[in-house]
Amino acid sequence: MSTQGTIFTGEMSRRGYALNKFAMSLIDPANRQAFLADEVGVMRARGLGDTEIDAVRRRDWAALMACGGNVYLVLKIAGTVGQTLLQMGAQMRGEPVETLMARMNARATGAGAR
Amino acid sequence: MARIVGGIGSSHAPSIAHAWDHGKQADPLWAPLFEGYGPAKAWLDAQKPDVMVVLYNDHMNRFFFDAYPTFALGVGDRHELADEGWGKRDFPAIPGDAAFGWHLAERLVEDEFDPTVCQEMRIDHGILSILPLLLDVPWPVPIVPLAVNVIQHPLPTARRLYRLGAALGRAVESYPKDLSVVVMGTGGLTHQLQGKGFGTVNPDWDNEFLDLIERDPDALARLHHRDWIERGGTEGVEMIMWLGMRGALGAGVRRVHRNYHLPLTTGLGLIVLEPA
Repeated sequence: MSTQGTIFTGEMSRRGYALNKFAMSLIDPANRQAFLADEVGVMRARGLGDTEIDAVRRRDWAALMACGGNVYLVLKIAGTVGQTLLQMGAQMRGEPVETLMARMNARATGAGAR
Repeated sequence: MARIVGGIGSSHAPSIAHAWDHGKQADPLWAPLFEGYGPAKAWLDAQKPDVMVVLYNDHMNRFFFDAYPTFALGVGDRHELADEGWGKRDFPAIPGDAAFGWHLAERLVEDEFDPTVCQEMRIDHGILSILPLLLDVPWPVPIVPLAVNVIQHPLPTARRLYRLGAALGRAVESYPKDLSVVVMGTGGLTHQLQGKGFGTVNPDWDNEFLDLIERDPDALARLHHRDWIERGGTEGVEMIMWLGMRGALGAGVRRVHRNYHLPLTTGLGLIVLEPA
């Protein structure tokens, strides 16, 4: 299959460290509230650079992963601002979420059981 | 002496938890999944294991990249549930078995596997998404969680997971108390959550994998990470964790149950095996 993705390497983990550490903080509801109240202020305080802050502001999940964001941590940012994994996926694919959902519904099956 | 009475291989996914919590048990998209767990739950009810060892991966809820363990064993008497970023699920904490957990830690290290030994764990959907499909609340059986790094490369090899399973089997059998033990391996099946290929799956490989985990696990243990990723997507590499379950069962197994369903982004597989 065509994965067209990228594995999460040590190089990405180094590059995305501050971004990922910020995202990890969102497992605490108090940190989610603080972030929603002042997105830029919280990200600056946690040492994120302009590129990452801009990508979060634009909800550009593909750009965040290009910055070294780990998929499960980027998902915590998306979830905090009210987006789902499928919305994140559609953005990475560059298509409307409805198109992605329609494709998935068309292939959904329980017929593989043997 | 403790003995392994069976093994379960199961996918885990946040979407399973979401469907369960939103009452989609009879929804046509989800019913084949939930119904498919019925025979596995009935089997567990009949076995009444004293403890379950569950190989899974944490999804950045317990461990961060400041110090990321390749293997981590939860030896506490109680495991809290994780808030993954959108609130905790409404389930009780999961009971553990400290005496058995510490025994496994000792024997695994003697056997040249070196898990990070954790007296505190936070369990995320790696275990919790499928637990209500297999067990009723209050949780009737303690769990010893064994977390595996399948996220930050370098990852342990498929062969290492298979050998870890064999070591786990020896560790169980050396426990002096007369416990019956079920080993579970979770993760997969094929899915890709990154990049332009988001949502890619490979049902043919999912079903071939279900064949091989039963009949020829050594063929799976020979596969390199690039093979798993090429066939099953970047996150499909989680499937190596089933080899930890399979290795614990020994060479011959008898299949009790098998199910496969593909509702969304991830091929969802289930198998129940008993030692032959």
